[in-house]
Amino acid sequence: MADLVAPGRSDAQRGIKLRGPRVEYLAFKLGSDTYGVPIGEVREILKLPPVTEVPRAPGEILGVVSVRGLLVTVMSLRARLRLVSSESSRKGRILLVMGAHEEVIGLYVDEVLQVYRLAESEIEVAASVLGGRLGDYIVGIGRPEGALLTLLDLRPILGRTDPAGRDAT
Amino acid sequence: MADMGDKAREEFFSEAHEIIEGLSRDLLQLDSSRGKGPVDPELVNNIFRAVHTLKGLAGLFGAARMSALSHELENVLDDLRLGKIELSQAALDLLFRGVTIYGRILAVEKGTRSDPLSDIDEFLRELADLSESQSDDAPISGAFYELDPGLLAVLTEYEEHRLRTNIEQGQSLFRLRVRFELATIDAALSTLKTKAKPHGEIITYLPTGEGAEADSIELDILMASKASLDVLRSLLGGEQAQIEEVPRRSPSAKDPVLVPSRLGSHGPSHDPLPYASAHPASAPPRPKAVAQRPGALPKTASTAAMAAEVSLRSVTQTVRVDIRKLDLLMNIVGELSIVRNAIGRLTESVRKSPELREIGMELYRLHRGFERQLADLQSGILEVRMVPLGQLFDKLARVVRQISREADKDVNLVITGAETEVDKLIVEELSDPLMHMIRNAIDHAIEARIERERVGKPAVGTIALNAFQKASHVVIEVEDDGKGIDESKLVSAAVKRGLLAQEEVTELVHREVLNLVFIPGLSTKSDVGELSGRGVGMDVVKTNIGKLGGIIDIYSERGIGTKFTVTLPITLAIISALIVQVEGRTFAVPLASVQEAIWLDPAALRRVEGQEMMTLRGATLPLCRINELFALSSVGKTKTRPYAVVVSVGARRLGLVVDELIGQQDIVIKPLGPSLKRVKGFAGATELGDQRVALVLDAPALIEEAFLGGGDAVVGASYG
Repeated sequence: MADLVAPGRSDAQRGIKLRGPRVEYLAFKLGSDTYGVPIGEVREILKLPPVTEVPRAPGEILGVVSVRGLLVTVMSLRARLRLVSSESSRKGRILLVMGAHEEVIGLYVDEVLQVYRLAESEIEVAASVLGGRLGDYIVGIGRPEGALLTLLDLRPILGRTDPAGRDAT
Repeated sequence: MADMGDKAREEFFSEAHEIIEGLSRDLLQLDSSRGKGPVDPELVNNIFRAVHTLKGLAGLFGAARMSALSHELENVLDDLRLGKIELSQAALDLLFRGVTIYGRILAVEKGTRSDPLSDIDEFLRELADLSESQSDDAPISGAFYELDPGLLAVLTEYEEHRLRTNIEQGQSLFRLRVRFELATIDAALSTLKTKAKPHGEIITYLPTGEGAEADSIELDILMASKASLDVLRSLLGGEQAQIEEVPRRSPSAKDPVLVPSRLGSHGPSHDPLPYASAHPASAPPRPKAVAQRPGALPKTASTAAMAAEVSLRSVTQTVRVDIRKLDLLMNIVGELSIVRNAIGRLTESVRKSPELREIGMELYRLHRGFERQLADLQSGILEVRMVPLGQLFDKLARVVRQISREADKDVNLVITGAETEVDKLIVEELSDPLMHMIRNAIDHAIEARIERERVGKPAVGTIALNAFQKASHVVIEVEDDGKGIDESKLVSAAVKRGLLAQEEVTELVHREVLNLVFIPGLSTKSDVGELSGRGVGMDVVKTNIGKLGGIIDIYSERGIGTKFTVTLPITLAIISALIVQVEGRTFAVPLASVQEAIWLDPAALRRVEGQEMMTLRGATLPLCRINELFALSSVGKTKTRPYAVVVSVGARRLGLVVDELIGQQDIVIKPLGPSLKRVKGFAGATELGDQRVALVLDAPALIEEAFLGGGDAVVGASYG
């Protein structure tokens, strides 16, 4: 992962003629790295409410919370991607996304940054960037405004079986 | 069944269900009124109409068996209506069986049940036989009346029959001439009928053809009544209505007016209903009549059209709603309450700043109003989910009738509180347990006739079904005046089967003994049912009621009777729970499975084959330490005096060891999401207020795990 850590300055890329439809990505932090998912996947961003741990649940499940009366299972995205764990911070947020079986899942991330608009031409296809275990979960690398964004595919992460990711605009 | 849209199918089923329920209700009423004076012809008519509508529905949806059944039932009912066959016990039995078969056919069509329905053909034959057994019409006795021959000629077979019956009963005949506004004729006519009903029967009505204006119509109404002319005049008379008594014709008169031209024609009537039928096939009323009544205006085209229109209009002011839609509305209310809270906070901060004080006050008032109306909305939606228990009780009344006849016992069912309302889902789940209890009461508790007379009880046994609301719960009592439960035999059976130690017997109090009937295997008929007076599977009944968050209690006295009391939450969503704490975590235990909570005496603890146990009043109670079971990390301070919450399912008991008892609370259980469905031991989670979520322990699952070792209890969900 080391090669992903430091986003190099990429001012040169600003000059590239942008092609293809633009998609908005929500950028967030897991540990020290920055990741992104299409904003259309995210129904809501919440501050971390008190989480009730569920004994016997898989390790990546932090527990359950109540979102306005709706019981939501919260999953640590960091643990799900088997990244090195770090302390949860006050900046921690929950992204409400749609999981398998029409279940609303709360994804715990360490910090929410901002929304980037990326054209297709700005996205490097992931396979060329890295292989290995995470390969299935990553659609590509985006480099907007000098940042380095690892773009995630939530479908395999959440065990969702819908044919195409919900592209957001 | 022919192809049709799911929605139409659903509509068909629910409509058919509704009609069959009404049918069953009317039959019960007919049954109870039998032998108490003349049968209400309107009741028979209602039943006839219901079957007729079912026939139409069945035809529409290609349900052939239902069609055939309706057809035969219709014939029988038509004969009953016309007095061609008598309303005998046998005839009623057949009709009741018809209702049961309707239910079975529906279940088969719906695919919820496989049933060859092989006995239907035989049933249809029995119906046909009954229909053919009709007696010939007796010749008319009694006086004849000065009736307009034109009017007589247009009477339907049914109306003729009613006229004859009324004359035989010594009623006088009256002619009412009433003017109706065309715009309001439906309502006005039905008001008139309602007013007339207690005093007599309206046999027929026809337009007079006189005095008709563009917007009004005059009807001649023939009515039979015991009341005097004056009484009727004061009751029904008015500017628009003139009433005369039809004079009796002198006996010397030659030709009796009531020539029953169609008497003896036994074929099915082509004109099943005297007025607006529920089925368009019979809409143009009495076409024959038009030609046969010279000089009089027959039912005009406009009134005929009106009649058809009446039949298309819904009878009831109700809407059927999918319960999931109500859940959706409930969620929206949940969202709104968040908005309410946000506005509340905003209002508070505005009120704090002195320069915005006036706006703050205004906001405060608005917020209070909003709060109130939101609460109303919420309770309104909850109310919509509620249905009266009467729906269920009607079904049970049918069961009582059937079983008591099978068992050859006379049983009177007394129902109170049928209007008590409960969540629709609970009513559905309640029908089997209640039916079970009633069956047991008739089969085993109510004594045979001779036995009852011997002990000086009335020959007819009584089963009371009482429902009433008690705070946020509904109580349903099933009470019989049978022989009661023989405790000594129950205890000795329990000891014999090793469910109870001999030395424990003396410690049992009355109530505990009776609770033995809920132990599986102890109350089955083949073992002690005959002795205890109770039969099959009361343990099943208890389990099912427990699933609904309810509790069942028993009270019985030898020779006097037995009473079961079922206490249920009004809505499934809310149950009572014991809130406990373990290692700083809060859990809820549904009270339905909690027997008691005790302080854990360290001296009473022992370990048998690795399993921690304690002795509780002579019996061994296995213990389960929640913190170890769930591998809860310690929060530091060790609890010196933990508690054991004794939970039970059937005969199995388990002590859940917890640190604190917080108290009792009504909670709303929400299931854990699909991603956690493989996590065993929790029935769901609940909000305890201020956003805190507590897990609800699944007592039956924990007990099973403790006794069977629950191998796969710690299996997590997997992704991708």
